[in-house]
Amino acid sequence: MTVKLVEISDVTKNYRRDEFSIKVLAGVSMDVTEGEFVALMGPSGSGKSTLLNLLAGIDRPTSGQIRVAGQELGALNDSQLAGWRHRNVGFVFQFYHLIPVLTAFENLELPLTLTKLSRAQRRKKVDLALEVVGLADRKDHYPRQLSGGQEQRVAIARAIVTDPRLVLADEPTGDLDAASAQEILDLLAQLNEEFGKTIVMVTHDPRAAERAGRELHLDKGRLNSAADAA
Amino acid sequence: MFKLIRRNLLRNKRRTILTVLSIAIALILLSFLDLLLAAMSGVNSANANRLVVRHAISLTFSMPAAYEQRLAALEHVEGITIMNWFQGRYIDDRPENFFPRFGTDPDTFPDVFPELALSPGEIDAWRAERTAFIAGRALAEEKGWDIGDVITIEGDIYPVDVELTLRGIFTHTTDEAAERVLYFDWQYVEEALGNPGQINSFYVLLDSPDNMNETIAKAEAMFENSPDQVRAETEAAFFLSFIEMMGNVQFLFSAIGLAVIASIFFITVNTMAMASRERTTEVAVLRTLGFTRSRVLAIVLFESLAVGVLGAAIGLAVMPVVTGAISSVLATQGITFSELRLGERTSALVMGIGVFLGLAAGLVPALQAMNMKIVDGLRRVA
Repeated sequence: MTVKLVEISDVTKNYRRDEFSIKVLAGVSMDVTEGEFVALMGPSGSGKSTLLNLLAGIDRPTSGQIRVAGQELGALNDSQLAGWRHRNVGFVFQFYHLIPVLTAFENLELPLTLTKLSRAQRRKKVDLALEVVGLADRKDHYPRQLSGGQEQRVAIARAIVTDPRLVLADEPTGDLDAASAQEILDLLAQLNEEFGKTIVMVTHDPRAAERAGRELHLDKGRLNSAADAA
Repeated sequence: MFKLIRRNLLRNKRRTILTVLSIAIALILLSFLDLLLAAMSGVNSANANRLVVRHAISLTFSMPAAYEQRLAALEHVEGITIMNWFQGRYIDDRPENFFPRFGTDPDTFPDVFPELALSPGEIDAWRAERTAFIAGRALAEEKGWDIGDVITIEGDIYPVDVELTLRGIFTHTTDEAAERVLYFDWQYVEEALGNPGQINSFYVLLDSPDNMNETIAKAEAMFENSPDQVRAETEAAFFLSFIEMMGNVQFLFSAIGLAVIASIFFITVNTMAMASRERTTEVAVLRTLGFTRSRVLAIVLFESLAVGVLGAAIGLAVMPVVTGAISSVLATQGITFSELRLGERTSALVMGIGVFLGLAAGLVPALQAMNMKIVDGLRRVA
């Protein structure tokens, strides 16, 4: 039985730039089933990162509804949304965005400090996440002591350390060389296939998109077509 | 969270150290001014039984010497002596050769200033010789004077050079400042000037502090209709008015202190704003991870608070050393304070200002971080 983890219904998003109102998303509707790996593609400015931000609950739509894991996001205030995000969403950024003054271990531990877990429980979860991404031996390294690919793997570990149902990745290979990008895509595929994580990935790269189970194309704020890739 | 705050503080060590040190230095200056004011108003060598009578217009005006007899006749008066500020020049005009020099009456002085300990033999020797002088132990030690030494003080206010012989060295049990003074027989100058009979001030010893107000009123009333009206006041009040001759010292010190705090406040605000601005994306990442607005506010505020408190703590730790050093320098210039010690009040003031500076400086960047839209913060670098 398939469960809809993400339900987006007629979502629009407008931004104001000075006196101009710019429509970034124009009536987007889509669903993502639990356990799916979806690639969101489109040219620059098509609205894919905006859609990802709305799914993560770090931005709010101008109109329409977004329901993730059974929760209507528009019904939550800022504080509730922060708590919901912490429990349900793992976010992977294009430029990793690790905290430079914290080690890999401490970066992963950071979201867990918001829980009531004991130090030993936190340690166990962090060690497991680092093992999954293959960086258990680099846990005491600072971000500056890691390569780009390793930083992104730590960032992915940070995204999954709270065991979220939904992992959102915004151009996760956009800042990496081909070999490192391949490793990251392998890792995301592994998370999807072995650990059953639902992943929505924004990418420009058609080869990266091929790793996903489904491709969605956005153009000028509209979802143009969907194609089953795999 | 505290680990993150600590690491953020050490992120740019030079900037943090410089900010903490600038706060520490500002607070050291402020607390020193505060101590100075406290020491000035404390004037602990003042005797509660003594009052000072001076010209009603100002200290620079003199009164007829004949007033002494009339004041001595007042009820409750147990002793009276004269006091004239001679000033003059000892050796040269260098500050280290400046110290207070007063002309007084050796016959009455020891009774009115019983706290200045002199042996009966020294008192007799002083009284027996018109050119004799007595000096406090601290002053004599500083100048290397021994009994029998002769010194010359060149007159400036009064056109008389006095050649004096040391006949007594007095001590004061609690106030070292009181030991940095020289007293000699004013009659020496009186005769040289042709007996003008003018006196700067009269020190009057009463039988009890309870009779102070009554005697002050009577002393002032006694000369109300004379050309040289007088002002009578407690010795402590007199010292304060003497200080006020330099201008409104308290206002001046307070203004300097406020200016220092205001400037350091803006420097700290700027530093914290810079530190916060550099981490805009990190704040956005924290919020994405699930940190609430209030938690982000707390992180930035605690960081700023730590800078302020650290600055205050360093200031307090260094303050005794600085106080000692500045006191020594001032002492060489004839300015001494016996109570220039860091007390609870000044410590609390310094720590309070440190906390205020930290919180106030962090407030604006903390509010900015709290209210920032996550997508704006992520967009700034990415």
